[in-house]
Formats: sequence, C-alpha cells, structure tokens
Amino acid sequence: MSIENEGRREALKIIGAIGTTCAFPFSANDLYGQVAPVTPPQQVHQHPGPPQRPIAVPGKVKPGYFSQADFDVVTRISDLIIPATGTPGAVEAGVPAYIDSVVGGNKQLQEIFRTGLAPLGGFLALTEEQQIAMLTSWSNAVGKGNAKGAGPQFFQAIKNLTADGYYTSYIGLVEELKYTGNTVLDHFPESTIPEH
Amino acid sequence: MASKVYDVCVVGSGASGGTLCAHLAQAGVDVIVVEGGPPVNTRTAFNTHAMPFEFPNRHIPTMKPGKDGFTSERSRGVGGKSLLWNAVAWRQSHRDFKGRSIDGLGEDWPIDYKDMAPYYDRIEREVGVCGNLDGLEDLPDGIFLPPVPMKKSDLLIKRGAEKIGVKVIHVRKSTLTRPRGPRPACHYCGNCMAGCDVAAKYNSADVHMHPALKTGKLEIRSNAIVREVMVSNENRVTGVKYIDRLTRQEGGVLARSVVVSCACVQSVALLQMSKSRLYPTGLANSSGHLGKDFIPHFTGGVELFLHDLMGKPSVNDEGFLDHAYIPSFMHKRKRDYARSFGMQFNYQNRRSVGWARALPGFGKAYKESVKDRYPAYVVLSPYGEMIPNAGSFVDLDEKNKDEWGLPSARRTVAYSENDMKIFRDMSQWARRIGEAAGAEILSVSDEPHTNHELGGARMGSDPKRSVVNSDCRAHDIQNLYVVDGSVFPSASEKNPTHTMMALAARTAEHLADRLKRREI
Repeated sequence: MSIENEGRREALKIIGAIGTTCAFPFSANDLYGQVAPVTPPQQVHQHPGPPQRPIAVPGKVKPGYFSQADFDVVTRISDLIIPATGTPGAVEAGVPAYIDSVVGGNKQLQEIFRTGLAPLGGFLALTEEQQIAMLTSWSNAVGKGNAKGAGPQFFQAIKNLTADGYYTSYIGLVEELKYTGNTVLDHFPESTIPEH
Repeated sequence: MASKVYDVCVVGSGASGGTLCAHLAQAGVDVIVVEGGPPVNTRTAFNTHAMPFEFPNRHIPTMKPGKDGFTSERSRGVGGKSLLWNAVAWRQSHRDFKGRSIDGLGEDWPIDYKDMAPYYDRIEREVGVCGNLDGLEDLPDGIFLPPVPMKKSDLLIKRGAEKIGVKVIHVRKSTLTRPRGPRPACHYCGNCMAGCDVAAKYNSADVHMHPALKTGKLEIRSNAIVREVMVSNENRVTGVKYIDRLTRQEGGVLARSVVVSCACVQSVALLQMSKSRLYPTGLANSSGHLGKDFIPHFTGGVELFLHDLMGKPSVNDEGFLDHAYIPSFMHKRKRDYARSFGMQFNYQNRRSVGWARALPGFGKAYKESVKDRYPAYVVLSPYGEMIPNAGSFVDLDEKNKDEWGLPSARRTVAYSENDMKIFRDMSQWARRIGEAAGAEILSVSDEPHTNHELGGARMGSDPKRSVVNSDCRAHDIQNLYVVDGSVFPSASEKNPTHTMMALAARTAEHLADRLKRREI
C-alpha cells in the first residue's frame, strides 16, 4: 500500500514496516517473570506493516449455495449497489462469493433471498435503466423505514451484505476508504482544529 | 482431592481476582487462584493485528488458530476480561459512594471516597494510569502518566460541547504512555480490545499475577471451572470443587478462606449454585439479597458524521481508541431524575464500517457518500446509572445447562422510570452535543442496552439487606469474601474496573492482616 503523506501524517513517524522487528526493550520469555507459556527468547514483538492486498482469485467464482442463475442475479445487484467507479466495485472485491457464503449459513437470510429472488428470473434481461428503477423503488421503501414486502426486505438484506462484504475487503477498506491504521507509532500526534 | 490447604483460594483471575491474589502473594500469603480458562500468552495468542479480509466470513476470531482461550462465557483465560477491556480508569467520588444520602434512592456504600483513595493511589502507582489532572470534584485526580493528545474529531466535539457549556476532558486509561519496567509504552495500533500484545494496556496476568509468581507464594490453577464453594457444618468455607476443563474430571482445592472474584454475574451464579443444608438458596444468602440489586450500566448511542471532516483525507487516528471523555455534568444541574450519566466517545476502530448499511440509496452516489463520511464518523456513547429495582436480578436457568452441565446465569433487567428519564436525557444531550459540533446525525438509539455488569451480591452494613460487609466479607460466613462488580451497592456512571481493582487491593490488605493475626 502506498502511503500518501498529507500535512498531518507527515508528522507521524511510522516505525513499523513489513516484518520489521520493533525496538521494544525486552525479549518475550523474561517479560514480567512469566513462567509459561514461553516464547523463544530471540522472538521479540513482531508488528505487521500496512495490510497487504490478498492475491486475487481470477476467473469466474462458482457459488456454493446459490444456483448459478440466482448467483448471477445476486452478482448483478451487488454490482449495481456498489459499482466500479474510479475504484473497483463489489464484484471485483469478491462480494458475491461473500454473500453466497453468508446466506448459505443463515436460514433467515435463505428465506429472504428465496422469496426475493423468485420473481427475478428475468432480471438480467432488463435494461440497466429498468434494473435501477426496480432497485430504486425498493430502496425508497427501505429509506422510509418501510422495509415491508418481499422486494424491499430482499433489497435491504442484499444491500447490507454488499456493504459488509465490500467494506471489509481489502479493496473496500484499504483502497477505497484508505484505511491507514494498525501500524506502530512512536507517539500519538497532536492535532489542531481551525479556531473560530 | 489435593491435601494441601492454602491460606486463600481466589476464584477467577481477572482484574479483581488477579489484583487480589498478587497482592496477597506479595504480602506472604499462600494463595491459589483458580481460573476456568487456559493460560493465555498475550504476545502470541490473540489475533491482535488481523484484518477482516484475512477471513472468508470477515469475522476476526479473538484467538489465533490452535490457541485456546476466549470462546464462551465460562471458558476464558488467565487474566479474564482484563485481557480484552478498553482500560478506562476512573476514581469514583463521594457522590458515587453516598447516593442514598444525597437523594434517598438505592443504597449507600458502607465506605466512602476517603477509604478508597489510598488504594486507588496504590493501583495507579502499580499499573500505570494515564490522564490529565483536571481538578474536578466529581472525578478525583490521581497519580497519572501523561495523557494522550486528543484526536481531531475529539477536538471538534470539544469545541461544540463547550459552546453549550459541557466540559470535555482527556480519557484516563490503565495504558502506559511511558515505558514502565519491562512494559513498553502504547504504540497506538488501535487494537486494545483485540488483546494488547505488548501489555502496554493493563491485564492482570502480565502486570499482576506473573510478577507475583516470583514470590513462590502464588499458584495459578488454570482450566479449572469452579462449580461449588464448599461449606462445612461449622459454617466455614473449606475450599472449592471444580471441573477440569481438559479432562472433565472433578477436582478440588482446600483453603482456609475463599474469595469469589469471577466477574459479577458469574460470581453471583457460583454462590447460587453452592447450595447446602445451611444455605438452601445459595451460599451466604441469609439476607435473600443474593442475585438482587443487579445494576448494570445502561448505554445508548448517537452515530454522527462531523461536517468538518467529511470528504477529508483518511488519517491514522485509531490511537488507543477513545482519547476523550465527557464527565458527568447533570448531577449539578436541574433535572427531573436522580443520578446522572457520563459520555464516552470515539472508541470505534476504523476497520469497522458497519454504519455503511444505514446510509440511504445505492450506486455511485451511495459509494461516494460512504467514502466522504468515512473520516467523519463518531459515536457518542453515554453511560447511565441504574437504581436498584426488584425487576432487575440474576438467577440460575436450571433448564439451560452449559457444556459442563452447570446451569446458566440468567440476567433479567427492568428499567425504572428514573432509568428511562436518564436514558432519554443522555440521548438528547448526545444529539445536542453532536449538533453543536456541526454534525449530521445518522442514528440515535431508541432503547437502552446494558454493559458493565454490577450488583447482585451487594455490600452493606445491614446483614439483612446486603450480602457482604464493608471489607467484602460475607455477612454470613467469616472466611468467605466476594470481590468484584457484584458487590457494588450503587453503580455510578463511571467505568467500574478501576474501583474493583482498588477494592481488591483493599480486601487483600484486610485479608492478609486477618491471616497474620490468625483470625482465619
């Protein structure tokens, strides 16, 4: 991951790097007089560097729970919810496979998806405009706190899973949102705000 | 059953039990601590630095593969919940100990701030607590390491809060901001509650128990799930019976005295399981108050986005989670309820983006709106004080046995009108503070949920209305003690662990003294 230094972050001394041994002044086995369990003495605190992009799994993903036809619809809807823009979207982030695995292990979601997907046999034959119009009507119903009926309930479920899957992926969290934490700082920097 | 008779058997090795057994060992007392979970090497056992995308279901397990530890309520690890706490450390004040004297509700503690102050001092010196000297009457200062600077979002909240007359201070935590002995200072990786793997954050195993092993006076018996405290016909406790977690064999420990310190609800449940001819409804329950007076904190929350940070670059400000705090202020103002609330905020790790579900719409606009709001997300989490009421209690669910065949501890919570008034007011204040700071409000929780379990074996001077006395000793039994959140007669709104540790230090001193005088 590249680290873009904007003003504030330049102040941070990031002393962690991949596989770097941090300069903490103790070895693990004499720490605190601890008796057991014992870590080999040469091993001191290892802190990971910035998160690494997992090796991409190329090619078409095979669903484990959904039928291929349903999975194609799920894939298309997740793509409409978080599309590729300047940055990759839900499909590139592996969200459809995530949804497949979560729904596969959750009876309540299985019911919502079964009911929601049943009338969507022709969804992929619709134009993009028509698809978006369908999602918009469901999304509006959800937005009014009115997720009643199979459509809006299904939309809410697949949107939640798409958001969860995308923003916990490397692409969503690190590339899209620019998550920069989980590193070693030698001090926490002072912050300022503009006075009013 | 082992034939050795220990001076003290402590059940539970968390912040209370861990502090207590270490202090006893340092005082030369022969002590064994019995813990239901396995030993946990804090440097290697936790998934401290893991990212969600390393796991297919995006859920980061607490323990690394093959490492035994935190899986269920009764199987924890040596160090208990102190391994995973957020380390917020307040001293309670006179108001917190003497609520009934002030407003006539609930119960007073039989001790006051002045009784506890020396033990707060001692704990702070021992474990290292960072904080600012704020000079607040209601939140007494202590012996502090330097505080950590506030985050930009904290400063924005502070500026807003001050506009409407609400003070924001630095948080105080049992986390090192300077190295101390073998423990390094915090390095602000933001994983405090995933298990600090350098012990910059206090945990009872690394900071209290392991050093105390050097005395030769402390024995840690792990993987021993205590199912009963034994009592003799002469009305003295004689030790404990346990189930070995690994072999499932029955085991036991004999001791001249027993201290139950296995976390509020579990301590109450253990006493309730320890039925005998003398105590048919649970050990030390002649008052009938065991399990009653359950007063966990209740919390709500306001999720918001600070306008000043929307669309700004994402920065690394995870720090050690929350860096600031809003101490109670309503206790000094006109209001239509008793007691008060304090407000924690900003302790969400930036890896958690669950709020993205709640933003409206979908598509490109939705994706952009999440990205814009990502650096601006803050949660205000007020914590309110519950007054004891008959509808809130702990009992055993005999029908619902755990994997060891032991009945589950069941919590029942009813909110009184006073509790709900606090809840509504603290939610409104959270919204008001957010708005004063220039925020878009995402959500306001509409019902309270509990955290920080307290009460159930309350301390008091009247044996008819309480379970333990001011020394944490059971009124009914000369050599049985209970030391943890369960003995709190009133909850305060302040995070309780620091007070539990000070109580443990105080009880250890008292118990060592009694043993020395051969009273036990």
